[in-house]
Amino acid sequence: MKAFTALMHREFIEHKGAFFLGPMLLLAVLFGLTILAFTVGRVDVHLSGALFTVAPLIIYEMGFFGLGFAWSLYLAVTLFFYCADGFAADKRNNAMLFWKSMPVTDFKILLSKLTAAVTILPGVVFGLALLSGVLLFGVAFATMSINGTASVGTLGAIAGIYGNVALTLFTALIAALLWYLPVMALVGAIAAAIGRWAIPIALLLPTLISTLEWVTLGGLHPFATNTWRFLQYRLAVPQTDYVDTWFAAAETATSGRLGVPRFDGVAASGEVLASLDWAQIGIGIVFALAAIYLASEYRRRVNDN
Amino acid sequence: MNELTLDPAPPSGEPIVSARGLRKSFGRKEVLHGLDFDIPAGRIYGLIGHNGAGKTTALNAMLGLTDCQGTIRVLGEDPFARRAKLMENVAFISDVASLPRFLRVRELFALLSNIHPNFSQDKARGFLEGTDIKPEMKVKHLSKGMIAQLHLAVVMAIDAKLLVLDEPTLGLDITYRKRFYRRLLEDYMTEERTLLITTHQVDEIEFMLSDIMFIRDGDLVLHMQMETVNDKFTQLVVTDPAQLASARALKPVFEETRFGQTVLIFDGVPRAQLEPLGALSTPTLSDLFVALMQRPTANAEPAR
Repeated sequence: MKAFTALMHREFIEHKGAFFLGPMLLLAVLFGLTILAFTVGRVDVHLSGALFTVAPLIIYEMGFFGLGFAWSLYLAVTLFFYCADGFAADKRNNAMLFWKSMPVTDFKILLSKLTAAVTILPGVVFGLALLSGVLLFGVAFATMSINGTASVGTLGAIAGIYGNVALTLFTALIAALLWYLPVMALVGAIAAAIGRWAIPIALLLPTLISTLEWVTLGGLHPFATNTWRFLQYRLAVPQTDYVDTWFAAAETATSGRLGVPRFDGVAASGEVLASLDWAQIGIGIVFALAAIYLASEYRRRVNDN
Repeated sequence: MNELTLDPAPPSGEPIVSARGLRKSFGRKEVLHGLDFDIPAGRIYGLIGHNGAGKTTALNAMLGLTDCQGTIRVLGEDPFARRAKLMENVAFISDVASLPRFLRVRELFALLSNIHPNFSQDKARGFLEGTDIKPEMKVKHLSKGMIAQLHLAVVMAIDAKLLVLDEPTLGLDITYRKRFYRRLLEDYMTEERTLLITTHQVDEIEFMLSDIMFIRDGDLVLHMQMETVNDKFTQLVVTDPAQLASARALKPVFEETRFGQTVLIFDGVPRAQLEPLGALSTPTLSDLFVALMQRPTANAEPAR
């Protein structure tokens, strides 16, 4: 276990740029922009004036969700490129033989990469996303305090909002990582075999498989096959009614209506988890392990440094 | 197989490496043609051969990096099936700079102390004392020589029974090379450890070898203790052309002309018989290499 943890740690060190330094830079830029926006008056006109007076707390919820969405996009892209590149990094860095001189199996090494991709790497980005929320809330609350629209009660409400939204983002992150685990494993396995070509291959793979079914089994066109329908379902982002409903209500609220119920993180998280197809997640975990095993066998046999 | 084999000193126990009928093919080309050898414990072996002779393939087979036909056991284990387990007691430096370049020296040591049960961070630090390598330096910022020093410190800090070095000093200047081997002998070698080295700079490792293996086109052509090499092979320098015919009659394994003198190498011919014909000496490893490893297709002037 100690060796496995160390292997995940080396993944973090190797990809610190994408998963820590890059987000830190983004965070610094975001913080700077927020400070600037609230201090030079641009946001003051639109938000901290009438809007904050009418529906201030909705702004926090929507703002944090917006941040969470932006960070999710960043994470999705970096994780894809991590899997497509990180699994081939030992070969690219000419370090394959060094790691093979260590008493760890190729399976353990590749599994540590996949485990890092669903634990510490997104965990660090999530931590920074939470921090970005704190910074945004802090600056917004300070501005509200200055213009006299905030109170101690508001601070408590903001903390509650922060906790609810953070809980939902965390649950959604876990759900997404579980849901897309087989995709990450497949991209990583392809990368272990063919390096960076995994990027175009992984993007083309659904079309290729669907076309193969269309060619061999027939159908209207390559995008009207069972394979395509399954992949569409399997690659779609898991969604819940709760979040959609709340968003619809929130949009109305920002137009001037009051009385929108606060976002309930526990209820939303519960719905996120309930909406998941757990059988598919189970199958996906088995598929991911199989893909990593096959890739490790390839890596064990092919010794090109 | 044209192998000149004398039994090495009988091993005290099980050999560290044992190969029987070791074959390896890449596609249709067979690069190892059924090697048979044992490497006992506590020896320093030199595995020597031309480029493409099969040295690295043989090493890869020993290290479990490639699957082969035949049987090979290292420390009693099948290396390909049990590489990870085997690497607890085997350390190696490959012929390419393979240290992870993104790590700092201290990060490398910290990771290794968690990954390798027999790695000592204190020992590794100790080996780097007196060098220009500092813990905060990134591997990618080190010079080639410093990377070699660092890699050597890493493998010497592993309490391994077998250390395999595949062209460990490739691209290094003579100072680094000499320091590298001196360090290895002084700070690492013990009676319990076995060292296997491949290099093209055979003269530089000759002084430390206890045994040699010459590999040519996938065949083992010589496997012998160095003392036996000294007894078995004799180099004769003939300055008097009148003696040349007599010398050739004793069937040298190699002959060449150097600065007007004829140099001949004999295998198993008593020195007393050669003494009247010219000046005798023990051939250096590189002379022996040239003598025994000539390939008709690769040499315009084959041995007579």
